[in-house]
Parts: sequence; C-alpha cells; structure tokens
Amino acid sequence: MNQTLHPTKRIEILKEKTMNEPRIASIEQAKIITRIYQENESLPRPLQRALALKAALGEMEISVEPEELIVGNRTKGVRAGVIFPESGLGWVNEEFETLPTREQDPFEITEGEADEFRRDIYSYWKGKSMEDIIARAGEGLLGPIKKVVKINQTDHAQGHICPNLESWLALGPAGLLEKTRIQKALPEHQNEKAQIFYESCELVLEGAQIFMRRYAELIKQMLADGEVDPAYRTDLQEVARICEKLADSPAQTFHEALQSTWFLFVILHMESNASSFSPGRLDQILYPYYLSDIEAGRMSEQEALELIEALWIKFNQIVYLRSAHSAKYFAGFPIGFNIAIDGVDENGEDAANALSSLFLKAQYDLGLPQPNLSVRLHKNTPSYLMQEAIDVVARGSGMPQFFNDEAIIEPMIEDLGIEPKDARNYCIVGCVELSTPGNSLGWSDAAMFNFSKLLELTLHHGVDLQTGKQIGPDFGGLDTYRSYEELENAFEAMMDVYIEKMMAAEDIVEKAHQDLLPSPFLSTVIDDCLTKGKDVTAGGAKYNLSGIQMIQAANLADSLAAIKHLVYETGRVDAVQLMHALANNFEGEEVLQTILQRKAAKYGNDEDEADAIAVKWASKFREKMKAWKNYRGGPVHTGMYTVSAHVPMGENVGASADGRKAGEPLADGGLSPVYGRDQHGPTAVLKSVSKLPNSCTTNGGLLNMKFLPSFFETQSGKDKFESFLRTFTDLQIPHVQFNVVRREDLLDAKAHPERHRSLTIRVAGYTAYFTELAGKLQDEIIERTAYEGL
Amino acid sequence: MKDSKGLVFDIERFAVHDGSGIRTTIFLKGCPLSCKWCQNPEGMAPSQSLVWQKSQCIRCRLCESSDSVTWKKDRPHFAKDIDPEEAARLVDLCPGGAIALNGTWKSPQDLIAELEKDRPFFREQGGVTFSGGEPFLQADFLKDSLQLCKQSGFHTAIETSLSCRLIDLQVAAENLDEIFFDIKIFDEEKHKELTSVSNRRILENAAWLLSSRHAPKITVRTPLIPGCTANDENIAAIAGFLAKHNPNVRYELLNWNPLASAKYELAEKDWQLPEKLARFDQAQMEHFRKIAREAGVKTVL
Repeated sequence: MNQTLHPTKRIEILKEKTMNEPRIASIEQAKIITRIYQENESLPRPLQRALALKAALGEMEISVEPEELIVGNRTKGVRAGVIFPESGLGWVNEEFETLPTREQDPFEITEGEADEFRRDIYSYWKGKSMEDIIARAGEGLLGPIKKVVKINQTDHAQGHICPNLESWLALGPAGLLEKTRIQKALPEHQNEKAQIFYESCELVLEGAQIFMRRYAELIKQMLADGEVDPAYRTDLQEVARICEKLADSPAQTFHEALQSTWFLFVILHMESNASSFSPGRLDQILYPYYLSDIEAGRMSEQEALELIEALWIKFNQIVYLRSAHSAKYFAGFPIGFNIAIDGVDENGEDAANALSSLFLKAQYDLGLPQPNLSVRLHKNTPSYLMQEAIDVVARGSGMPQFFNDEAIIEPMIEDLGIEPKDARNYCIVGCVELSTPGNSLGWSDAAMFNFSKLLELTLHHGVDLQTGKQIGPDFGGLDTYRSYEELENAFEAMMDVYIEKMMAAEDIVEKAHQDLLPSPFLSTVIDDCLTKGKDVTAGGAKYNLSGIQMIQAANLADSLAAIKHLVYETGRVDAVQLMHALANNFEGEEVLQTILQRKAAKYGNDEDEADAIAVKWASKFREKMKAWKNYRGGPVHTGMYTVSAHVPMGENVGASADGRKAGEPLADGGLSPVYGRDQHGPTAVLKSVSKLPNSCTTNGGLLNMKFLPSFFETQSGKDKFESFLRTFTDLQIPHVQFNVVRREDLLDAKAHPERHRSLTIRVAGYTAYFTELAGKLQDEIIERTAYEGL
Repeated sequence: MKDSKGLVFDIERFAVHDGSGIRTTIFLKGCPLSCKWCQNPEGMAPSQSLVWQKSQCIRCRLCESSDSVTWKKDRPHFAKDIDPEEAARLVDLCPGGAIALNGTWKSPQDLIAELEKDRPFFREQGGVTFSGGEPFLQADFLKDSLQLCKQSGFHTAIETSLSCRLIDLQVAAENLDEIFFDIKIFDEEKHKELTSVSNRRILENAAWLLSSRHAPKITVRTPLIPGCTANDENIAAIAGFLAKHNPNVRYELLNWNPLASAKYELAEKDWQLPEKLARFDQAQMEHFRKIAREAGVKTVL
C-alpha cells in the first residue's frame, strides 16, 4: 500500500461532517412530484415522470459545503431518506411515526410532516401508486406464495443497473440532448410512443443542465457573500467553473470527470429513488482523464487521491429509505455504488492501472461502507495489486470483495448469449449482481425462491408448519414417501408449481414498471434505448435479463442429506417421528435434533454426500429457468446470494431436517455453508463451493468468510492469503468476501455501540456500520465461523 | 501398495504455521517425551482409546446402554478392556459426537487421499507436514508415507523432537523438503526432569543433521516456556551448540502459547505448570534473540 499519500485535512472534515449529520426523512421531492402530477393529469406517464424530475432538479433546495471538491446531492442535507410517491407509499403511511424508533435504519422526522404527508401526498397517491396496482393485479396470486417466493420491486423502482458512464462523460447532458433530437427526427421514430419517449428524454436532460448550473450559481453566491474560508475559495471557484461547464460540454479534466460522474448518479437517484446504480469499472473509465492530467502536470497523485476521496465521501451521502420489513432484508442502507477494479480487458489481458491502486488506497484511508469496492481477480492479477487489496482486507472494513473473471465471463457468454467483449467488460451492480455496463437491464433482484420453505411443504403435505394451514398442493409427506426418490420427485413437482406462480407474478410486476415507472433519464445512458426509441423499462436495453435467487442451497443440501442418510439409508431416524418433531419444533426431541445436526454430511466440508445435493438442485432449478422468458422477452437466470434476507427468510420457515429450529436464520451469503457446520476449515469450504456450476450464478453468487486479524500481521500471513485467493481463482468460484474482525470487538460493539460507530462490517455483498444493524443480525454475524489458522 | 498403518490423531487442513505455504498437517500419535508444557497432550500416548468431550455431550445417556459404559459424576466412563467393535459402535451411537476415538488407523494411501483434497491450495510452496506426537515413533509408516508423498509430488515437511534412531532420520530426510526440530533444553539433567528423557540422542541426531547435506532444509526451534526453557543460560547454550555445528542454520524462538492448558481437560491430564503464564512481549522476545545471535547463530527468527 502506498504510504506516501495521505488523506488531507479537508477529507477528514468532510468525512466527519457526513458521519455526524443525523438522517432525516424528507417529503420535499414527494410534494413536487405530486404537484406536477396534479397539474398534468391528462399527460402520458413518461411526460409526467419527466416533468416531475425536471421540476425537482430545478426546485429542490441544494447546498454546498465550503470544503467540498465534488458537489451535489438529492436533498439539501446528506443521508436523507427520501419519501417517493409513485412507486408506493402504503408502508410510509403506516410507519411514518415509527421511523425514528424502529430497530433497523431509523430516520428522524420533522414536526408536522406526518400530517402534511397524509393530507397532500398520500391522499393523492392512495390506490394509484405502483404497489396498489400490483396488489390489485396480483390479488390471489402474490399473497399465497409469499413464504416460498419473495417477489421484489413491488413498491419501488428496480435500480440495479450500470449506466453508460463513458458516453455520459464524453457527451454530457448537452451532447445527449443533441443525440436525442437527432433520433427523434428520424423517419422510423415518427410514431406517438417514440415521440413521447424522446420528448421525455429531452425534458430530463434539460433538467440535468439546470441542476448543474444551479450549483455553479450557489457557489458563486457563497463566494460573493464572503462565507467561505479563504483556504477553500480558489478550489470552490474551480468547482463552480466545472459545474457550469458540464451543463454544456463534456468532461475533460479528471476533476471534471469525477464531478460529472457524481451528477449522473445523483440525478439517477432523483429519478428512480432505487438502490444500486453502480459506476462499474471506474478505474478503466476514468484512467484516460487521470493520465492526461498527470502527463500534462496539471495534477499530482496526491491531488488525484484527494479528489477520489472526496467522491468516495459523496457515495456515502445517499441512503435509501426502506420500509421496516425491507430494511430487515437489506439492513444498513446498502445503496450499491459498486465499483469494480482490475479484471481483464477486451483482449483478456490484465487491466490494472494507477487508479486501481488509488481506489484501494482511498478505501484503505476512509474505511466507509460506500463505494462498494470490488476487485475482479483473474489468473494473471498482478501480485502487487493483490497485496494492496489484502492490506485493505486486513483493515477489516469488509472490503474489497473479490470476483473471479475465470468463473464469470465464460458462463455469461455460454449461458446468456452475451457478446464476448461485453462479458469481458462485466461489472457488478449493487452487492454482487453481475451485469454488463451501460447496456443491460438485468432486473437482478426479481425474486428470492426459498428452497427451505419448499421442502417444508413437500415434507408436510403442503402445510405451512408455522400456521398449520394448507398453503401448497399435497404431494404427500414424510409419512407417505416410500423412498428418497419419491420424496425428491415430490420436491421437484412442488418446485414446478411455485416457479409457474412466480413467473406469473413477475410479469405483473414488470408490466407495472413499464406502465408506471418509465425512466427517461436512465434510458439516455443505457444502450440501445435512444436508438430504439424505447424506454429501458420497456426493453430498450441491449440485454434484458431477470435474476432469481435460490435461497439457500446449503440448508437444502443439509436437510436432504440428513433425511436421505438417516431415514432412508440407515433407518436410524423414523420418518413419522421426524415429521412430528419438525412440526413440534423439536420440542422434547433434542436427541433427534442433535442426530440430524451431527450424524449426516453437511455442505461445506468437501464431502460429496451433501455437496452433490446442493449441486443437483441448484442445477435443476437453473435448468428449469431456461424454459422461461421475462416480460421484456429476455432470458431468466439465477443467482445464489441473499443480501441479509437469510434472517427474515429463515423467520418464514419452520423447523427443518438439518436440525435448525423454526424461525432461525438460514445460511448467510448464498454459497456459504450453514454457520458452524463447516468443520474442516476454509479450504474445504472453497472446495465444496467450487462444485456448484457457474451457470447457477450468472446473476451473482456470494460467499462469506471470516478471518481473524492475526492472520494478516505478518508478510508470511499475507502471502498465504494471496495464495488462498489464487486458488480461489483457479477453483473458478465466482465471489468471496472477508470479514476481518475479532469476535471480542463485535461483542463489545454490540454492548457499547457508542465506542464503535465507525466499525464497518460485511453483511452480505455490502458493508454497513455494525452498530446500525439490528441486534439479531449482529448476533448472526458474530456467530459466523472464523478461521484463525491455529 | 504400502501395508504399514499409522495411528493419526488429527489432520488439519489449512495449516499455516507449520512450514511454507498452505499445508495439511498430519498429527501422528505417541511421543517418547512427555514435556510438562506439551501443546498436544492428546497425542502423547501411542495407543487408541475412547475419549469424552464435555462440550459436545447433550447428556442423553444413550451410551449407558453399553455394558462397557458406566455413567458417574455426570459423565460416561469406559471400561479399560472395551473391544474395538464396541468402541466404534459407541462413537457412532453418540448423537453429539462427544464420544470419539482419539486416533484413527490410516494407511499411507489414506493419507494421500486426504492430501489430494487440498492439492489446489498447495501451489509452489505448500504441502504436507508430519507432526505429532513424535512422527518418528511410527517410523515405518512415516517412511512409506513420505515416499508416497514424493511420488505424488507433494512438498513435505516434518516437525520432530529428533528423539529417534539416526537411521530412521537419515532415510526420512531423503524425502523431506523442510525439517523443523526442537532443541528444548541443553542441560541433560534438566531435560530429563522436564521432558522425562535424556537429550543425548537428540543432540547427536541434531549434530549429524546440521552438518549433513540436508542442512539447508532445517529450522531449529526452541519453545520459550517460562520457568522451563526460557532462560538466558539455556538459550545461549543451545545457540552455542548450533553455532558450533552450523552457524548458518535458521533458529526460531517460539513464544509461549497460553491456549495449551485448555486441551488438558480433554486429554484428561493434569496441567502441571502454573495456570496463568503470560506470553513474552516484543522486548523480551528480542532479548532472547539477541542472546542467540551473540552466541554465534546468524539467522534468529
């Protein structure tokens, strides 16, 4: 790690300010949006949306801190929770008053705003927001399947997309406006739909220009008022110049490119209010700007680092307000500014450059949860870069996470039909979701499919153990299956039933997004929307995928391995007794529970008895998805990650045959073993995980591992860690991330959060402040297996 | 096929402190020494027996059904003459895995199969380490295993007390890439008192090895046990001996590991040293290293 460069005083001040500002729920944009809709009731939806965004860009209160080098935010303050009406407000109506007191991700509220919200905003949207429309269209379908299939994106925009930042930097809003107008005039686009689309794009691009100019004006005003410390005046003048320039021209310097990048993401958030707009391969995209400034002597490396760190802090100023329920699934504001460094280039050669190292350095210095920094490893990743990444891992912020080109690129080409040059250029959106940059609507968090609940219904005649109600078809039960094969056949039949229902629900959700949440601004930065004359939600992107998550192969494998071995092979456990024990949550059956936990093979120990079951069912599910197309006509594929959903999804499942009690969390991650069940160390875990075919994780996989800090204290330890990562690459595992923190530290942070405010921890594909997580999730993280290498 | 069998009390994958790279360490059971500070007390006895692990026991008392088990003082006690089949049955029966055999008989082929699992992790530097107990106590099995390991292309290392026959050491050394041996105490009487054996053979073997062509493979270690090995005089004497035979040898002083005492309960042995011995701090470690360097050893770790 480069120790000659350091964070500057200004960066310390900005970090401090960002961390200390209280999070407040804001209804400012909701008021603007509601007003525009009321004034334009007869206009088509894309124009309503575009006008609402343009108005917000022109009217929202803005602010600049005197120390800032990169400016812009979606509200006046930082880390505000923006209440957003079009997608759904039902939960806000129910939870407004409890926002400040809820356990996970609380927000302060302003006196009187609850009334204003209900009177002026909620009353208008009630019954016509997207969630209301989806609820009506999905009545009788969505409710009964929800414990098996969690359908996502029903009350908010999709997000999870990587814009074409290269073209945004090269054209800017002015250039894109010109491009839009050229397309609009083409003969093939002389139809109403396309004309409305282009008109909406024009409106939002004009809005973007206005937004940029407003910052220039505000800064000039601050300078004229003499509010600014002389030490920062010159730099602020430069920022004002840049904002003004970017409204009309492309970015040219490194500073301009960073400011332009930030404006793009702020506006994307203002349009969609969704999580996970990801910059993608920022080291590759910004390198030409960096290089030309360095070569011309316009900028030093230290100045470049300061600018990068200023942007890094901005990435922490946007948070995403979720309902209490959703905050459980996605705890700690994962906002998913995922930046992937290194990886191979178009020709398969290593792509590391000076910015890759500076980005790691910025993470090393700041240790903040955003951006979500990822390193794309491949078989020729240079050792120096790995060592720099390991230095950052050892800091314990949970970053960077590692992705594996050797596992990801080929299945993208083979299984999804993505062009090789796009696949080699893959990026990560949000946590671990894989995408191609600038040209794909991946719809990566379409749904989560709960294998454990599915098995529960299969074992108990379709009855939900937690309520005793029949919620699924009765294909039999443990008391009727005469062989393990019969049980597996019933499980597959149950799977087919729920896949069909899930895909019907998906169509409803996607149609609602097309009808209600067209996103013209986003469409201007996703190829080929502008040339097709089609909004991104309507299939304008070059690639149109949907991703279903399989939750969790580990619990399923452990449960089936136990049943297979103990019930059907050795007869040690009686099927009917097991069925009753599960229904009674192992009450009075502790011996049986222990036998299930300890006397059968478990996934994660490099033992085929369990691993092969995980492979079999993950592959089968993946195979089944090939028969389906999404509403935009694109392929449906799978991922194996949960974010933090293993906790609430476990709450939905009764006692299971892996010895897990009712309501307990499922395995974390997605590729990870059930915690505590891996008994043979990290190499055995990697071996087990490597058996899963990578076609199962084209939408993303997630493996969590925990190491103790002592491992990284010596160079020899770091070398061994590098060696471990090289084998991870060779084994073609798509993803791994490491928490490096002592158990005692976590226990202390739980007991004394005030002493550990800045402790960040890998939750699952993203990093959050440990003290901001709910107690149950904290416990769960503490319990994850740690490797110390005794 | 090799028909020797070895009694193995543990196999540790991802061993990162027993040699270069990522390794799998094979712990062979039985040791001629009985050091008062032994870190692996469960590996001392050269025989296989049933053990009971308190933390795993759920007190279901299923084991009581066996004629060879009596349940007293909230734990099972096993008959001394329990036959191997009954022992195996009990291990299988125990739901929590609290009842276990403290060693498993394995063939060299079994070991190779275990090593193959982590071959992708060994890369250039990692491999297998034989440890114990004292691996040379099962010299035939060790010899056969090392031969097979080299045939399979594994990097090999050993951790030994050198309390063995010279001929066994000479044969094994041919198939070893790294050799770690201890010289714990230089004074013969003191050595006898704290480890129960004389160090004469150890020093003779060490002298041979240090001046043999295998010398570059060697790392000599002294565990710093407060009140036992960790005194200026002992370190100076050991280092002087090393300097005389091969001043270029790597000499490593190992800080005391206070976790060892926790394993004694499991092994049903009494911890004979004081309960709370502190680890040496940086300055104290440096003090001992300095003594070793002054006695003429060039590379002290």
